[in-house]
Amino acid sequence: MSSCQTLSVVLDHELVTFTRAVGVLRRRNFPIKSIAVGPSASPGLARLTIMMQTDPTTADRAARQLEKIVGVHQAAAFPMGDGVARELALVKVRAGQERYGELLDVALLYKATIVDESADAAILEVSGSEAFVVSFLRALERFEVLEVARSGAVVLERAAAGPTPHPLTPEAV
Amino acid sequence: MTELLTGAQVMCRVLLEQGVDVMFGYPGGAIMPFYHALPEYPELRHVLVRHEQAAAHAADGYARASGRPGVCVATSGPGATNLVTGLATAHMDSAPVVAITGQVPRNMIGRDAFQETDILGITQPITKHNVLVQDAELLADALRDAFAIALEGRPGPVLVDVPKDVQNQKIEYQAGGSRREQAGADGKRPAPDALREAARLIAEAERPLIMAGHGVQLAGAYDELRCLAERTGMPVITTLLGISGFPESHPLHLGMPGMHGEVHVNRAIQQADLIVGVGLRFDDRVTGNTAAFAPRAKIVHIELDPSEVGKNIPVAVALMGDCREILHRLLRLVQPRDCTAWRCEIAGLARVREEQYRGGLSPAGILTALNEVTEGRCTIVSDVGQHQMWVAKLFPYQRPNTHITSGGLGTMGFAVPAAMGVRLARPDEPVWAISGDGGFQMNMQEIATMVQEQIPVKMAIFNNGYLGMVRQWQQFFHGRRYSATPIWSPDYVKLATAYGVAGWRVEDAHQTRDTLRQAMAVPGPALVEFMIEQEANVFPMIPPGASLSEPIEGEPAPLVST
Repeated sequence: MSSCQTLSVVLDHELVTFTRAVGVLRRRNFPIKSIAVGPSASPGLARLTIMMQTDPTTADRAARQLEKIVGVHQAAAFPMGDGVARELALVKVRAGQERYGELLDVALLYKATIVDESADAAILEVSGSEAFVVSFLRALERFEVLEVARSGAVVLERAAAGPTPHPLTPEAV
Repeated sequence: MTELLTGAQVMCRVLLEQGVDVMFGYPGGAIMPFYHALPEYPELRHVLVRHEQAAAHAADGYARASGRPGVCVATSGPGATNLVTGLATAHMDSAPVVAITGQVPRNMIGRDAFQETDILGITQPITKHNVLVQDAELLADALRDAFAIALEGRPGPVLVDVPKDVQNQKIEYQAGGSRREQAGADGKRPAPDALREAARLIAEAERPLIMAGHGVQLAGAYDELRCLAERTGMPVITTLLGISGFPESHPLHLGMPGMHGEVHVNRAIQQADLIVGVGLRFDDRVTGNTAAFAPRAKIVHIELDPSEVGKNIPVAVALMGDCREILHRLLRLVQPRDCTAWRCEIAGLARVREEQYRGGLSPAGILTALNEVTEGRCTIVSDVGQHQMWVAKLFPYQRPNTHITSGGLGTMGFAVPAAMGVRLARPDEPVWAISGDGGFQMNMQEIATMVQEQIPVKMAIFNNGYLGMVRQWQQFFHGRRYSATPIWSPDYVKLATAYGVAGWRVEDAHQTRDTLRQAMAVPGPALVEFMIEQEANVFPMIPPGASLSEPIEGEPAPLVST
């Protein structure tokens, strides 16, 4: 059954390792929704977070393909519910004086911050679950949205849930 | 103790450290420092091929025959891209190959320099690993790691790209080993519960089968496989790359499954209630339509690569690890039993086919004669197409790892160059490269390499004047429209003569044995062309995408013209 699955991958913080990982996902035709990468807790290692709209078996298959890459140290697949997912969005909105108050109301409702403003435009920053960010963007549709930059989700497995053993590792069989 | 050496010298020293005795390559601008250093190390034999693709196939053949990494060398740009088909072939069939390529100097990378190509990017999907060495200080370890990675776990090709200025850079060299930890030491062992469950399924099954793949050869699990079969009476099916992993004359041997598997082999799969898969990946040529594959069977999958388990078909019990070790542990739990009734049932499914061939030259006749003439002591390297299926099904392999072919990628042109590598790995054994007239013409330039390097490969060509397998598909599925499949050949006997090699043409079955004997008797390479039936087909055949229960067993009805 298709649902939102997370792949959380710890790998060398090197461009060549990122391209290897992303290349495997592309050529094996995995249904990717978003990819986010940044430093992890360990120096020299990055965490790559991939969201997939698929079934748990396919997500697990992707994790096992990723684990084979030299430079990938860990790859785990888990349903979105087993992790805490957050993404960040920056939204540039045209906002003249006459509607500035209205914009502030929306920002307040979504706990968004105005991080830059000029005479007729502002940049808002919001973070939260994907649904929350999408809802915020909808709320901004009544203004003139000039540009959107979204980070893609970063996820950590819940402390109580993880790290779970691989469904097909020897211990689990 | 350290020594001041150039990067190129370091490359040679590491090759020696790794026990390399032969490599296949072709020089060019960006790899010249390496070739300049090479004569200082006469223990490193270099075989100059006529095309880099052949270097990769020869390294692959060497690796498959010896179990040690095969090495190929090429320059940057076109030299490196010519390796691609060979690396993809090795990747699909899990052969440990180390490819070394020259690259333009570091300050030129990314500027579209002369003969620059992003070989790292190009080969990323078709290598197990690849690396661009940006500093000679890293060179020795990069190469040592390449050898370790090529061999560890499931083997595969590794490419090391070395810029020309790094080859010239002087550094302090220190002898050493790979930094990588020994593979298999990571505690990947199946749990006792899983082993017990597998043993229970084997004990309870009424119609169990063993399907053995390439993993048996890679792990050298021949004795363990035979032991399991004999203790349980389970019939053994060998996949294309599993062939010769179990003696063909053994009463428990069933044959090859899949698209060109015999009817009783595929029917046995469809009726089985248990399949113990050993070191195979349930490829689509084996399973046919996966939804209809072995509908009654539970699958026990013994496999080294976790990403293969459950990839194509669902598995009841996964036993992950080296198949020799797992079979060994499984054998302690498996109770003796027999499968007499089941084997009788399978025997009842076998069919006899009668086919006519021009001059009586049947593939079966040729291969039986080859077995007699070589007394079964030879390694056969086949190409891709109809002859490949005949060679797989009709030669009675008795000894382990004596059948070498391009299975996964299906690379035409593989046999002739790969056989050179096989022969150098097995200097005391006759090596026969068997090709069709299409595949042979893809790499026949390598006869020159055999002559120059004195590599006595014996070549057989099954000449039917067609790209036979494609023609067969056209006959069956495309209304006999033989589009671009008739193929002209040169006079191969004269071609052999031009290369200074002995050559024969066989047009009648009576000539077969004597000609093969003469070819075996001449000291160097030899070539025998068999003029076989033009429109002979490989039967039976499962149409692509169909289930194993739906074989084609005879010619389609001829088209009626109106």
